[in-house]
Amino acid sequence: MTPAAPAVTAEGVSKSYRKWGRTRAFGTLKSALLGRSLAAALAPSEVVAALSDVSFTVARGETFGVVGPNGGGKSTLLKLVAGLFKPTSGRIAVHGKVSALIELGAGFHPEISGRENVVINGVMLGLTRREIEQKLPAIIAFSGLEDFIDEPVKTYSSGMYVRLGFAVAVHVDPDILVVDEVLAVGDEAFAHRCLDTIAEFSRRGKTIFFVSHSLALVEELCDRVLYLDHGRVKGLGDPREMLATYRLDVAAGEGARLATEHRKDQEILQASSPIEENPPSPDASRKQETQLPVEQLLEQKVPLGPDEKLRRWGNRDVTITGCRLLDSSGAERYAFRSGESMTIEISVAPRIATVDFVFGIGIFTPDEVCVHGCNTEIDGFLPERLDGPATVCMTLPRLELGTGTYLLDVAVHSRRETPYDYWRGACRFQVDSPDRDAGLYRPERRWAFAGAVSVSAR
Amino acid sequence: MLKNLAGLWRHRALAYVLVAREMKARYRGSVLGFFWSLLNPLLMLAVYAIVFAVIFTGRGPTTSPYALFLFSGLLPWNWLSSSLTDAAASLTTHGALLKKILFPAEVLPLVAVLAQGLHFVFALPVLLLGLVLGAFGTFGPSIPLGWPLVQAVPLFILEGVFVAGLGLLLAALTVHFRDVKDLLATALSLWFFATPVLYTLSDIKQERVRALLLLNPAAPFFDGWHDALFYARWIEPSRWGLLLAIACVSFFLGYALFDRLRDSYPEAV
Repeated sequence: MTPAAPAVTAEGVSKSYRKWGRTRAFGTLKSALLGRSLAAALAPSEVVAALSDVSFTVARGETFGVVGPNGGGKSTLLKLVAGLFKPTSGRIAVHGKVSALIELGAGFHPEISGRENVVINGVMLGLTRREIEQKLPAIIAFSGLEDFIDEPVKTYSSGMYVRLGFAVAVHVDPDILVVDEVLAVGDEAFAHRCLDTIAEFSRRGKTIFFVSHSLALVEELCDRVLYLDHGRVKGLGDPREMLATYRLDVAAGEGARLATEHRKDQEILQASSPIEENPPSPDASRKQETQLPVEQLLEQKVPLGPDEKLRRWGNRDVTITGCRLLDSSGAERYAFRSGESMTIEISVAPRIATVDFVFGIGIFTPDEVCVHGCNTEIDGFLPERLDGPATVCMTLPRLELGTGTYLLDVAVHSRRETPYDYWRGACRFQVDSPDRDAGLYRPERRWAFAGAVSVSAR
Repeated sequence: MLKNLAGLWRHRALAYVLVAREMKARYRGSVLGFFWSLLNPLLMLAVYAIVFAVIFTGRGPTTSPYALFLFSGLLPWNWLSSSLTDAAASLTTHGALLKKILFPAEVLPLVAVLAQGLHFVFALPVLLLGLVLGAFGTFGPSIPLGWPLVQAVPLFILEGVFVAGLGLLLAALTVHFRDVKDLLATALSLWFFATPVLYTLSDIKQERVRALLLLNPAAPFFDGWHDALFYARWIEPSRWGLLLAIACVSFFLGYALFDRLRDSYPEAV
């Protein structure tokens, strides 16, 4: 083992799981002895690939992140690195002592005390008994469980359990720390302590193999990121680049789901009969203040319920026959990145020809905060005629919204605010910001630095 | 395989703490705690003494007083049978551990055998007390008492190795065939009657039956226990050789199978 040897080397690693057939699930020893040979009974009836041909190296001292959707192969990879599983084919070489934070407190016996469990856990993780006795005070102090350490761990809360487990695992002083989605448990203070510890490990030149669904954390901690999807490497490299790719894929998937939902939703709502009523709770006094119908339109707080009647109302002199979201190329899409162009396309059909109409839209967050609302009246368009099916498009050349899900209301009403067709939540769409900026509004921005300050671009 | 065996020695600390854990966890919450390890065999001895002095009387002179004879075979048998039951289930019950922590899996069945062995050791003072009382004729005809008792130490070690081999085998099989656990309960009760615990082989008059019973690998161990404890007879070197051979064959076969299937445990449990 030379000092330059990488901490982890994976060459063409594949791992498949056996998926047992129905015979396997019921007939066991009997079928193996009577029916077929033992070898045949142990042979898998179907093989599921969890990882296929994964290659990478993790340099010593590197913090290496793994991201990807559920079922992407992250946990399997982790278990291979920890040495718990053997690859079906390929080679994985690990140099140095591995401590896996896969499930903290695994192996704690509920009946015996925290202190005794720490000793046992420490020995399991490869410490000698003397080492663990020496480290015991530090471990207990780190866990912050001084008052409970002599109680049986069955009396512990799940958070306490994890804290004690984490305390043991980091005191094993591994060369390679394998961290799986464990920081989500425990309170805020403990989560910070965990992160500090991991950062400290990194400073001391230890290798960290980090798996998390918290992309912000991955971006903050990792030097390089491996993106796994369906057991295959989709990318390996700079965290920002990998995470951006991953986010985009997630958004695309989300968009596809939303598109399907949207179509189903529209079918249901198209089928619902027109309602010759006013909105359920129009605030009459507010109407006096501002004569613009859009204000009223945006202030209505009608809860989004399963009841379609609450989501759509109006006399249907003009009916909204469809509403779609389009990207800059004109393709239908329900997931956008901040800064992309988004077009709202509203299709309408009047029952009778009319010269009195206003088209309006409203963008809301799921908790009904109005992000933006406007209509053709506000934007200075005077109605002239509507005597047949028509399409109205409104384009936002730059969608300056932050990450999140948004709901779109569309409406067509008279200039005197009689609703023809008001449709709450006609579309639902997803916006993803490429950065980690916060908030709903994501404006274009420029920074300037003057005086005794100096910065450099990342 | 030999390399893994050597690695096992390095993990003796783990075996130690796990055995200690088993012992602690077992009596945690009971008022008498560790005393149960002593009290249980004492109560058992009392029950047998009463039953065979009052109800089942009139046995041959070779096994009299029967309560003591039975007791000197029953304690090592209980060790064997409870060890095998625990060992068979050891991998599947600690499956979560196998999936999450890297350590030699054979520690688990071995810990089961050792922990039960410790209970056996705790019961030995009671047996000794019974033998001393027996020597004074408390339970009927007086029995001899003497140095052959020390043979209990090598017998304990050899039976431990024998049981450990079977335990490893059963643990490995149980991972892949969960029915082993159920089958084992029945097999153990059949095996109990086929093993000279309740009787001595010399009392079996039919030659054929005796030859058949001699095929039982456990039989020499229990003959040994009876000789060492009840009859206070020295066991001949040839019989020691046989015991050693049986123990080694059992252990190496069990360990070889366990080692071969090793990689499958984290996934299959």
